[in-house]
Amino acid sequence: MSLLEIRKLSVTFDGEDGPVHAVNDLSLSINRGETLGIVGESGSGKSQTAFSIMGLLAPNGRTGGSIRFDGQEILGAKPKVLNKIRAERIAMIFQDPMTSLNPYMRISDQMTEVLTLHQGLSKRDALAESVRMLDAVKIPAAKERIRLFPHEFSGGMRQRVMIAMSLLCKPDLLIADEPTTALDVTVQAQIMELLGDLQKDFGMATILITHDLGVVAGFCERVLVMYGGRVMEQGPTEPLFAEPTHPYTRGLLAAVPRVDDEDATMKAIPGNPPNMAAPPEGCPFRPRCNYAGEDCRVMPPLAPFDAGRARACHRPIAEVTA
Amino acid sequence: MVMTSEQRVGATEIAAKGRSPWADARRRFFRNKAALMGLVILGFVVAFALFGNSLAQWSNEELDYNVMGQIVELGGPSIESGHYFGTDDLGRDLYARTVQGTQISLAVGLVGALIACVVGTLYGAVAGYFGGRTDSIMMRLVDIFMAVPYMFVLILLLVMYGRSITILFAGVGLISWMEMARIVRGQTLTIKGREFVEAARATGVSAPVIILRHIVPNLLGVIAVYATLLVPLMILTESFISFLGLGVQEPLTSLGALISEGAGTIAYGTTWQLGFPLLFFCLTLFGLFFIGDGLRDALDPKDR
Amino acid sequence: MLSYILKRLAIAIPTLLLLIVISFLLMHSAPGGPFTSERELPPQVLANLNAKYGLDDPLWKQITTYVWGIVTEFDFGPSFVYKDRSVNEIIAQGFPITLTYGLLSFAVAVIVGVSLGVAAAVRHNSALDYAAVGVSIGAQVLPNFVMAPILVLVFTLWLGWLPGGGWQGPEYWIMPVIALSTSFMASIARITRSSMLEVLTSNHIRTARAKGLPERRVILRHALKPAMLPVISYLGPAFVAMITGSVVVDIYFSTGGIGKAFVDSALNRDYAVMMGVTILVGALTIFFNLVVDILYGWIDPKIRY
Repeated sequence: MSLLEIRKLSVTFDGEDGPVHAVNDLSLSINRGETLGIVGESGSGKSQTAFSIMGLLAPNGRTGGSIRFDGQEILGAKPKVLNKIRAERIAMIFQDPMTSLNPYMRISDQMTEVLTLHQGLSKRDALAESVRMLDAVKIPAAKERIRLFPHEFSGGMRQRVMIAMSLLCKPDLLIADEPTTALDVTVQAQIMELLGDLQKDFGMATILITHDLGVVAGFCERVLVMYGGRVMEQGPTEPLFAEPTHPYTRGLLAAVPRVDDEDATMKAIPGNPPNMAAPPEGCPFRPRCNYAGEDCRVMPPLAPFDAGRARACHRPIAEVTA
Repeated sequence: MVMTSEQRVGATEIAAKGRSPWADARRRFFRNKAALMGLVILGFVVAFALFGNSLAQWSNEELDYNVMGQIVELGGPSIESGHYFGTDDLGRDLYARTVQGTQISLAVGLVGALIACVVGTLYGAVAGYFGGRTDSIMMRLVDIFMAVPYMFVLILLLVMYGRSITILFAGVGLISWMEMARIVRGQTLTIKGREFVEAARATGVSAPVIILRHIVPNLLGVIAVYATLLVPLMILTESFISFLGLGVQEPLTSLGALISEGAGTIAYGTTWQLGFPLLFFCLTLFGLFFIGDGLRDALDPKDR
Repeated sequence: MLSYILKRLAIAIPTLLLLIVISFLLMHSAPGGPFTSERELPPQVLANLNAKYGLDDPLWKQITTYVWGIVTEFDFGPSFVYKDRSVNEIIAQGFPITLTYGLLSFAVAVIVGVSLGVAAAVRHNSALDYAAVGVSIGAQVLPNFVMAPILVLVFTLWLGWLPGGGWQGPEYWIMPVIALSTSFMASIARITRSSMLEVLTSNHIRTARAKGLPERRVILRHALKPAMLPVISYLGPAFVAMITGSVVVDIYFSTGGIGKAFVDSALNRDYAVMMGVTILVGALTIFFNLVVDILYGWIDPKIRY
């Protein structure tokens, strides 16, 4: 049985101008110890998917479908149920560590409260365990610095603190929402390396949400490509990157600038992301797709092919990869 | 035939419409039911102040000898006697007095808010624009000024130099300029540091143009919101002073003075003397509060 | 933290001195006062003043005497009107009274206001929320000089539950406190509510929830502190306004606090007492602002470093 099973998830927000369909008909599953990457542009719905798992959607959000964690339905579950799962079984780290950590509380307090409340540890034990965890994420002089406030750490350090805090209860699943986006490139590499090491040591399943293909390539066993709130393509990372079978994925990969490319022009995908308050009929990529036809006004189903791969496109693979 | 993606994109872009932040704000304001109600209420009060006298049958100074001495029995509101709101303790028509009171209160509110705005904005903009030591010194001064209990000083001045209307208007306004100065200064600093100002400088836009085109429009929003919220405060301040007997001199009157008179006589049963001025007082303040809140929500929405 | 406190103190003290000097200069320039050549006061009073300040002495000497007297002995000098009473005596009578109902009103306004604001924000868009906003706006529109007579009308004349005036026991405190605290409680509630609403949408609250903390802890331990910052900023001016409002309370409820002393002295042209009260209130304000600043620094660690 998979650890997390999402079936036909839909997320809609009651906006000022009408409903905004952030996520449509999304299904995915992840097994214990697996690493899954969710890739997409801003507005593709990837973060909202993550928030749905944790029950952290904004108050004007409505969900549909099912999310099962370890066999238990958690979509729409009561706060009491969710609070037992959060931090203990599923943990989440966020994009901007400066605003995601509480600027008004010492790091020690923010970390120990997780342990005292979830695992009933005494303050002293909780503090010792927190320091241990800070050591594990390679924060120098953790014992002395744990009493500091977030603004006294650098950006990369803050993210390490976030990571340490999320792993305190040794959760089964870690969701990382754009953990490196707000950081410098060199620090990004360090953080991804840290996450990789921790993943091997603790063995937790990880969902990595990002718009950065390079980060996915180095970390994730499988990838899910999202656009306009829907899954466009998914599968094991290497084959998918080596031979993408969806027009959008191909466009994404082609847009990555290459050092060995003589041509100086950047290959952007023409057009703009869809307006989710008034999404296009059928496939959300249709307005920007070179292969689109009238049949694309009906959303293609996510059809499996090869080993563990699937794509949502009417055009045959041969035509798209030609 | 399959359209190329570029052609299709062009079509979609033409279909989408841009919206300026002002238009956005205007839409938000007019969608806010409370703000609209505030606008209606205030409109009513202003109409009352401007045109109310055309309906009055008595002037605000005339003493009605028919009711003198028997105010409690005969001084109540009635259509026949022409005293729509009744009379005050001396037999003067309360309707006309209320109209005049509303005029004076609104005037003081507006003038006071205007003074506070102008002084505060100039001070704050200068401090914010020049930054550095000038800013520090100016703001320290504001800190010091804020420690002074203005009401007491104002009362002191009114007592020492007599109840001139100039002191009243100026004093009421000067009580609040500091808050405005702080806000404008903060906003100027923020705007100065924004990337679009940097970009403007980098592309060679001259300083006066930057100020006029970039800084001032962004200040207007904040100023408008706080000015609207200042007017009710001014009216309250003036009412308080009138209540103490230090406000506008007879035969002029303000809502504050009328309320103070009316409050003193309710024990005798002449509740209309308190009721009508209080009604217009509350309506004015309600209207202004709702509009102010609506403006703040429209210009700086945070889903309240 | 200590250096932050010292810095604020270093500003507070010169501010106070400046206030005293300005007050004295105002008093000095008052038309018809003892320091001008008109000297329309009774001779006994003039004699007192001369003894204290030396009315023919140069200005700077008089200022120094005044400031010194206040700073070292809290001596505000003799009254301009009463020949055998000093300003101190006049003020000392009313001060404890004003302090009592002032502090009580303040406490009520803060406790009730914050609770209401937090409750409304947590139950956003519920009946409680709308009711709280409605009541707040309503209370803000009713200044204390309107509330006071209405309260007397209802509770003394109609219901007879509470005494109409005087200061002989706790039941005499109830209506003054209600009249004084209501509009501030309303403002505090509104500020708390909107501040709390904003804080509740911030990222660190999302993280707190992601950590599986019970909602009560999220609100009280994570959201309340930052939400209080705008409220604390408001407390300074609110305090001044409340003291000013105490004048009304003194008039309507005959409680006999310093507000009354101030108004009486205004009517009598006893500038010395007016000055004394003004300086006293100013000093209290400065002190209070200092406390507020320290509180602000305690909550927001970025400020104190």
